[in-house]
Amino acid sequence: MAKVELERVWKIYEGKVEAVKDATFTIEDKEFVVLLGPSGCGKTTTLRMIAGLEEITRGTLKIDGKVMNDVEPKDRDIAMVFQNYALYPHMTVYDNMAFGLKLRKFPKDEIDRRVKEAAKILGIEELLDRKPRQLSGGQRQRVAVGRAIVRDPKVFLFDEPLSNLDAKLRVQMRSELKKLHHRLEATIVYVTHDQIEAMTMANKIIVMKSGVIQQIGTPHEIYNKPANTFVAGFIGSPAMNFVDSKIIQDNGLWIKSSGLKLKIPKQFEEQLEEYVDKNVIFGIRPENIYDKMFAMAPVEGENTAAVMVDVVEPLGSETILHLVAGDDRLVAVVDPKTEAKEEQKIDIVFDMNVMHIFDKETGKAIL
Amino acid sequence: MKRVIIVLAVLFAAFSVFAASENALEIFSWWTGGGEEEGLLALFDLFHTYYPDIEIINAAVAGGAGTNAKAVLKTRMLGGNPPDSFQVHAGMELTDTYVIPGLMEPITFIYKELGILDKFPKDLLDIVSYKGEIYSVPVNVHRANVVFYNKKIAEEIGMKKEPTTWAEFLMYLDKAQQKGYIGLSLGDKNKWTSLHLFESIMLAELGPEKYNKLWKGETSFNDPAIKHALSVMKDLLKYVNSDHSALTWQDATRLVFEGKAFCNVMGDWAEGYLKTLGWRPGVEFGWFAVPGTQNAFMLVSDTFGLPKNAPHRENAIKWLKFLTTVEAQDTFNPIKGSIPARIDADKSKYDVYLQWSMNDFSTKSICPSIIHGSAAPEAFSTALMDAINKFVTEQDVNKAFKEILWIAEDNGYVTD
Amino acid sequence: MRKKNLVIGISVVAPSIIAIAIFVYGFITWTLRVSFSNWNSFSALLRGEYKFVGLRNYIRLFQDTRFQTDLWNTLFFTLFFLFGTIALGIIMAILVDKGLKGSRLFQNLFLFPMAISFVVTGTVWSWIFAPGNLPNNPQGLNLLFQKLGLDNLMWGWYTSTDSLGHFNLALIPVIIAAVWQLSGYTMAMYLAGLRGIPNDIIEAAKVDGASEWKIFWRVKMPLLTPITLSALIILGHISLKIFDLVFAMTGSGPNFVTDVPAIYMFELTFRSNRYAMGSAIAIIMLLFVAIVIVPYLFSSMRGEKR
Repeated sequence: MAKVELERVWKIYEGKVEAVKDATFTIEDKEFVVLLGPSGCGKTTTLRMIAGLEEITRGTLKIDGKVMNDVEPKDRDIAMVFQNYALYPHMTVYDNMAFGLKLRKFPKDEIDRRVKEAAKILGIEELLDRKPRQLSGGQRQRVAVGRAIVRDPKVFLFDEPLSNLDAKLRVQMRSELKKLHHRLEATIVYVTHDQIEAMTMANKIIVMKSGVIQQIGTPHEIYNKPANTFVAGFIGSPAMNFVDSKIIQDNGLWIKSSGLKLKIPKQFEEQLEEYVDKNVIFGIRPENIYDKMFAMAPVEGENTAAVMVDVVEPLGSETILHLVAGDDRLVAVVDPKTEAKEEQKIDIVFDMNVMHIFDKETGKAIL
Repeated sequence: MKRVIIVLAVLFAAFSVFAASENALEIFSWWTGGGEEEGLLALFDLFHTYYPDIEIINAAVAGGAGTNAKAVLKTRMLGGNPPDSFQVHAGMELTDTYVIPGLMEPITFIYKELGILDKFPKDLLDIVSYKGEIYSVPVNVHRANVVFYNKKIAEEIGMKKEPTTWAEFLMYLDKAQQKGYIGLSLGDKNKWTSLHLFESIMLAELGPEKYNKLWKGETSFNDPAIKHALSVMKDLLKYVNSDHSALTWQDATRLVFEGKAFCNVMGDWAEGYLKTLGWRPGVEFGWFAVPGTQNAFMLVSDTFGLPKNAPHRENAIKWLKFLTTVEAQDTFNPIKGSIPARIDADKSKYDVYLQWSMNDFSTKSICPSIIHGSAAPEAFSTALMDAINKFVTEQDVNKAFKEILWIAEDNGYVTD
Repeated sequence: MRKKNLVIGISVVAPSIIAIAIFVYGFITWTLRVSFSNWNSFSALLRGEYKFVGLRNYIRLFQDTRFQTDLWNTLFFTLFFLFGTIALGIIMAILVDKGLKGSRLFQNLFLFPMAISFVVTGTVWSWIFAPGNLPNNPQGLNLLFQKLGLDNLMWGWYTSTDSLGHFNLALIPVIIAAVWQLSGYTMAMYLAGLRGIPNDIIEAAKVDGASEWKIFWRVKMPLLTPITLSALIILGHISLKIFDLVFAMTGSGPNFVTDVPAIYMFELTFRSNRYAMGSAIAIIMLLFVAIVIVPYLFSSMRGEKR
């Protein structure tokens, strides 16, 4: 029952620093939307504008169709989970969770019911009498989430809530939050710089950079059809390979760079015709490059290259190869049984069906 | 405070050890400002012309109208480290504090040797004596029972003759008040001035003879005259400025100077103050003895004594002999604005007021001041000061009288 | 080697320990001893014969109306002074913390009085509150009131001998002066405290639905409790021992309306030579301060252990 709409929203600090530029997007009811981007990209500012903690310089914010620009945070019916949890140090866990309800003059037994229920969901029933300083980081995180849950708000806002947890706990909390989303059927806006969090939890990802929205889409779209080199490079790990190349005509279209010459599949030829003899950026994800010995994609000799192995990084489940072809450097994630050795040549295969081509000037995706 | 005194005492001790090896003379006083210091330095200069070899160490301690100096002195005396000679008020401040505990040497021999026993008023020498021996040399004399008044206002209210009775005085105060002036200015922020006023009234009511006998234990405090003095004080308080407890004695004197108040009861250091403000005695301001005390001279006198174990006893005796001379007294007093203790001093060196005072000094009965440490021990005077301070507010004659009797009894005076 | 360090350590610390033992605890013990003696005149002190008189000096003090006034004055002065400095300190801290234009200037302006000696402020405030000869010749503030046509606000300030119960109204100007002098200090303490509160806690409260007022009372104030406690201790012991401000500003006042134990102690000891009585007051004042400080020391020691 909550829909958040931003229309041409700007945030300009002190009349000059533009933190958010012309952001327009809609968060549908019950959606889990992640604002993703590197630090300083304006994602937190955007979230804080939704919360009412930052003023909106220009544009309109609507929640459920009502303009919220000048509404106090306390009247927006939102709940927020902060990066540093922001628990009230002088209150017990119970009081921390009950505080918002008390302020809203809920009856005592209703408060009690809600707090206990939230505590049960989060598995912190034992901790209700403790003070925040007696809790571990993960426990504090749960309390912070609990404080938001009991309020049963229209919108939940999460500001990098997992960044202070250790890796193991982060994985666990991630799945719990996802479950929680299903259970509460709540609208969630979630800010993170961690693309894995974004990919695993979001219904919709909004990628931002330098205050500008780069792409809005499902995780699948963001991964498979990045709108530009920034999104393409930001999502996925190791990051996508970018190679400065030229498209040439030689009995069909080819990608030609200093170390590579790869045949462009037929289905793309039409789209790329106007770029023939022009400089473009060729993009290919490391997981779409194979050691020829284990290649599953069709090997036609037109999508292979002989390259020099620079570094081998075995990770157990897979092996990362740093490769050199002419002036081009490539990273490939290959089968761990690879026999590639440093300072040796190997043959690699490109899955050209999932290749990307970007405009050299604007970085925008052509393909 | 205590710590400061200890530190000072240690410093002095160190200093005196150093000084002891020299042909020195250490003079302790609280004369550190204005005419007082100038007068003291003039005395030192004159002393030097007679004894060029003696190096004078000026151990003056500033602040608190002598309170700080007295505390330092007590510490030094207690620690067996006396100066060669020190300033002390004539009367109980000398005898009760230092003579009776046996810290002073009698100096009657100086008076006898110089043949000057008759050159000081007998009443004054009595005050600095204990069991027939004289213990100090009075250097200057202030009179405490004086009313200073604004001549212009006096003219305005038609005062032709200076009042000699309370009735007359109150009449003029009333007239002044009706004209919109403060009748009698008082500044008792530092408390002592209200006792200063009261002791003059007490003197007027008891008369000099009975007043002096109080301190010798020859007459009782339980005297209707003292009670009556309280009611006179109560009458006078009707004409006092309402903000008296916010003012110092200087402020009160200034009210007279500024033409806001008709008169003020103060010691004659107020005369010096009025002169520094630019007034001329007998021209802009007049004076008269507090009504009823015309034949008495309420005395405040600074004297110098000889402590036992003075490091330079011979020099100290030279100093004391020097102080008895007319030359020394006439050097110091015109500068300080007080009169010499010797009755044969050169009057021409003093202004009209001081000449009037000198006349009275040699002819009237001399009475010791309570508040200025001459009549009674400090414990008595401070307790009485507190009682009078309460009286000024409460104006309860019976209660105050009872309290005075208690204080007197506490301090061993006759109260039957 | 360790032995050598130990020797060096002891020799470094020893002088101060010895000095404290003598000049603090030694003197306290000595004062206590004097307070049980009959040394109530210079000659008694001089003779140095110690005569134990038990609690006589204390009993006399508590029967003394001046000392009773002193105790009431200390009580009321302390209460209003603490309330005033802390309330004003908080208000100023909040205003400065808002970061409005020129708040930096005000921050320094508010702090400045602390740098001035009590004697100076006492003297200046005694001029400001000097009532003048009412009703015709007002001075200071009264003159201002008259000029503004507020004649009925003129009163005797610290020369007033009126009281409400045991509260002498003349203390009001003294309290104002003391609050003026030290509220800047509490402001600085609270300002440091406010700036130490993480911003996200405040924001969390905002989102939780708290108004500014609620945030202040339910979130900020509880978090500033340690500051309030320190302020109470520091100001409390200043106020229980207050001397210089009152001495310079009003003396004891008419009928001792502004008298405090420290002034009485000073006068008994150095003016009346009643050393034993003065010592008794000193010990009583020490006890007062101990009542305030000792629980604090215990709680902070326990806190450290944990």
